[in-house]
Amino acid sequence: MSVTPGNSPLQATGELPVVPRRRMSPPMKGVIWAAIGFLLLNSIVSGIDPDVLHSYVNQVSVVFGWMGAMVGWLFGVGGWDALVKPAFGFPLKWKETVGWRRYFEYSTDHKVIGIQYMVSSGLGFLIAGIAAMMMRLQLMSDHMWLFQYSKGYLTTVGVHGTIMMFSVGTVFMVGGLGNYLIPMMVGSNSSAFSRLSGISVWMVPAGIMTVAFSPLLGDWTTGWRGYQPLASQDGDGIIFYYLGVFILLLSSLIVALNLVATIVFKRAPGLTWNRLPMYAWGMLAVSFLNIIWIPEIMMTFILALLAKIVPLPLFTAVGSPMVYLQMFWLFGHPEVYIVVVPALALWMEILPVLSKKTLFARQWGVIGLVFVMLLSGMVWAHHLFPTQGNSTILPISFFTEMISIPTGFAFMVAIGTIWKSKFTLNTPSLLVLMSMFNFLIGGLTGVFLADPMVNMQLHDTFFVVGHFHYTIIGGMVFSSFAAMYYYLPKFSGRTFNDKWGQFGAYWIFIAFNATFFQFFIVGLRGMNRWVPVYPHYLMWQNFEISICAFLLGFGFLYNIGYIIWAWVKGPAAEENPWKAKTLEWYAPSPAVGTNFETEPQVVNGFYDYSDGAGEAVVFQS
Amino acid sequence: MGDFWGFGIIWVVLSVIADWIASIVGRHFYVFTASVQAQEGQAAASFLLMTVVPIFVFVVMMLFYALFRFRRRKGDTGSSTSQVKFNKAYVGLWVTLSLVVNLFLFVHPTASAMQVYWQEGQAYNKSSNELIVDVTAQQWGWSFSYPQYGIQESVDSNGNDVLYLPVDRPVKFVLNSYGDGDGLSEQIDVIHSFWIPAFGMKTDVIPGETRYEYITPTVISDTQQNGMMRVQCAEVCGPGHPYMESNLHVVSQSNFASWVQQQLKLQSGS
Ligand code: HEM
Ligand SMILES: [Cu+2]
Ligand SMILES: [Cu+2]
Repeated sequence: MSVTPGNSPLQATGELPVVPRRRMSPPMKGVIWAAIGFLLLNSIVSGIDPDVLHSYVNQVSVVFGWMGAMVGWLFGVGGWDALVKPAFGFPLKWKETVGWRRYFEYSTDHKVIGIQYMVSSGLGFLIAGIAAMMMRLQLMSDHMWLFQYSKGYLTTVGVHGTIMMFSVGTVFMVGGLGNYLIPMMVGSNSSAFSRLSGISVWMVPAGIMTVAFSPLLGDWTTGWRGYQPLASQDGDGIIFYYLGVFILLLSSLIVALNLVATIVFKRAPGLTWNRLPMYAWGMLAVSFLNIIWIPEIMMTFILALLAKIVPLPLFTAVGSPMVYLQMFWLFGHPEVYIVVVPALALWMEILPVLSKKTLFARQWGVIGLVFVMLLSGMVWAHHLFPTQGNSTILPISFFTEMISIPTGFAFMVAIGTIWKSKFTLNTPSLLVLMSMFNFLIGGLTGVFLADPMVNMQLHDTFFVVGHFHYTIIGGMVFSSFAAMYYYLPKFSGRTFNDKWGQFGAYWIFIAFNATFFQFFIVGLRGMNRWVPVYPHYLMWQNFEISICAFLLGFGFLYNIGYIIWAWVKGPAAEENPWKAKTLEWYAPSPAVGTNFETEPQVVNGFYDYSDGAGEAVVFQS
Repeated sequence: MGDFWGFGIIWVVLSVIADWIASIVGRHFYVFTASVQAQEGQAAASFLLMTVVPIFVFVVMMLFYALFRFRRRKGDTGSSTSQVKFNKAYVGLWVTLSLVVNLFLFVHPTASAMQVYWQEGQAYNKSSNELIVDVTAQQWGWSFSYPQYGIQESVDSNGNDVLYLPVDRPVKFVLNSYGDGDGLSEQIDVIHSFWIPAFGMKTDVIPGETRYEYITPTVISDTQQNGMMRVQCAEVCGPGHPYMESNLHVVSQSNFASWVQQQLKLQSGS
């Protein structure tokens, strides 16, 4: 395994990379610089604050201290040596190392960055998963027992939802799989903004840690929306919510810019829009959503943060208590499509390959992705049916019902592709089918929620919680596992044993449905959200839901563990085990170093499996 | 063609069976309904359930076809024999049907049910029989007053806030956040949501705004008898949110009249 130059703008000197003189590991250096940054800025602000009664770490100083820490961390981990100094004309001393160490330092290789994103995201999944298990433990009984106060429980709900959404849902398939795959899929050796991308990935662990440690500053009860005016009353932990999510979003924004630029400008000759792979279309749609909506929510967070620390009455009855929620969901609904569009794209990517059948009605799949993207900005207020005034209820409900049409196109394409195919049943294809099943339930229960009259009953109950876990876990997480199994040979050059893979798939499928289908029922029976205690008549069902949830938790651990094992120790894989035609499978497996020694030329669509169809790609030497 | 007809016939048969089951199970979608409005919501939900079940059957059948009918046999390594890239009839039908179903659902039950609910509100307001209950939300509790009867804050024998309603009489809830209209006390409170699970309706209480909810209770019952008969805050509103609930009693008209007398006595006595 060696890293060859060429795909990295840093190798201009032509030297081959060498293992440098042992230096401090970059994350270590980052932590130390972060500590210095925090102390420095916190002290300055604390020192000049005219309020004599404040403590050393106070609301205002901690915000600046955190900024100092973030800059210290990003500089220490590689930004200073590889970005800042060269920008001022200093010679570039940074060398990319080889072997496992390169995953723990600044890199410009999109594949390394992709894996860094995936691992950081996996870390978030574990932390937020532990929080979920703690919630389910508490809910086994109808009175407080695990947590002492309800605010501790509510903080846990918030930490769970926040980390899941902003470091898993938004990140895994976009920052992770997207960064890894997209440059290869479009036949390029690097992404467009590889240096920026190398630094943005380090924002993810920092953001996760900020949110995970927020309870140290004080409990916050708003859940993942961080909503004002409640946030202004909450403990100071809410400050770390805004800051942590802010930096996670900044990371996703950079990912989006990078992916769009890569797809637009880095395509190999012959890779026309008509031939662009489905996953690339998915990434393009998602990235546009990110570019439009992330700045909107970042601005809102800044306003909310100021409302908290200054404080400003922007969102109280003097301003309007509705404004924050409207602003939040304006972003929040596109966000859920940011999570799920990659999953839909992945189905269309994998199914033709594994059924050896031409992708059916490709253009309608693309139209679906694009229209979901366009409509998703018009449906936000369905999160607020009981909150908003009467006049907007019906228009919002209308658009909400309409968005199911383009979403349905993904099913239409998938089904058309499966029909009369020779469907290879293995772990990734099984997981895709399971994902379709789960997402179908998520979507159809959405039809009930889109109806305002019915919504007035279901809103803020566990029915809603069941609905969105079906779309996110059922759709996005199951698809992510499908992608992990499918691309394992590409990542590692190794493969898995299909029996153990399918065993894991069935495990999470059964445990997932056992857990979350009951969320619908318990919600209909009157179980409302955000409560650690509830009426006694709901206790037995909650108890038994928790048991299923623990089984699901272990199921996820099993699958993650098995994938890691296969990655390191699994049997060697063929170069192109699924006989796929897309460009990433023309790059070496495992994909280390340069993707394409000679420039590929695309001469055909990637999803044509009819007998006469020629190769999709040729290499001219 | 064989697969096509086979699939079609199985789909129709299974859909009919599933819809028959849905028509029975769907009647209990709301679990317990104790108001006119909950019954309307229940009817809308049943209708939606009957509509989506055939769609569910269609897609799930297709997944099973992938698993069994179209599964690659051992040793077969070739491409699929069928390589259709497009089928006008299938795509045309899919797009048209999904458009028609959605537009249809928007008209009924979405718009129709909301219209009925809003018209009920207008009718209640015109009726002389309407009971007005002022509901005040505050971190973390509910209080209820009955301006038509001069009851300022209804309480039970333990001094807890309690909501009493007569059966079969239209009620207008006037929902406000706590405050004396000075613009300051409202300022400190947050959003709450007024929800009685058995009534099938919830309305948020926004500081600085007045909201209304219209209900006609139809069943005599109370929190003790049925857990869904409770006033529950449904929007997270801080550490006390889980505890922000009150008991509810729906009683006969005559019991309500005597309860009013008893409340008035209690009020003047203290
Ligand atoms: C192991 C599986 C999981 C279990 C058992 C679980 C369980 C729960 C529970 C019990 C709640 C609290 C509901 C409430 O009272 O409002 C919740 C909330 C939530 N979960 Fe999960 N969850 C799991 C995985 C996930 C995943 C993978 C995601 C997203 C990627 C996710 C996203 C959320 C969100 C956004 C909330 C809302 C938090 C809020 O109200 O602020 N969960 N989950
Ligand atoms: Cu409340
Ligand atoms: Cu509440």
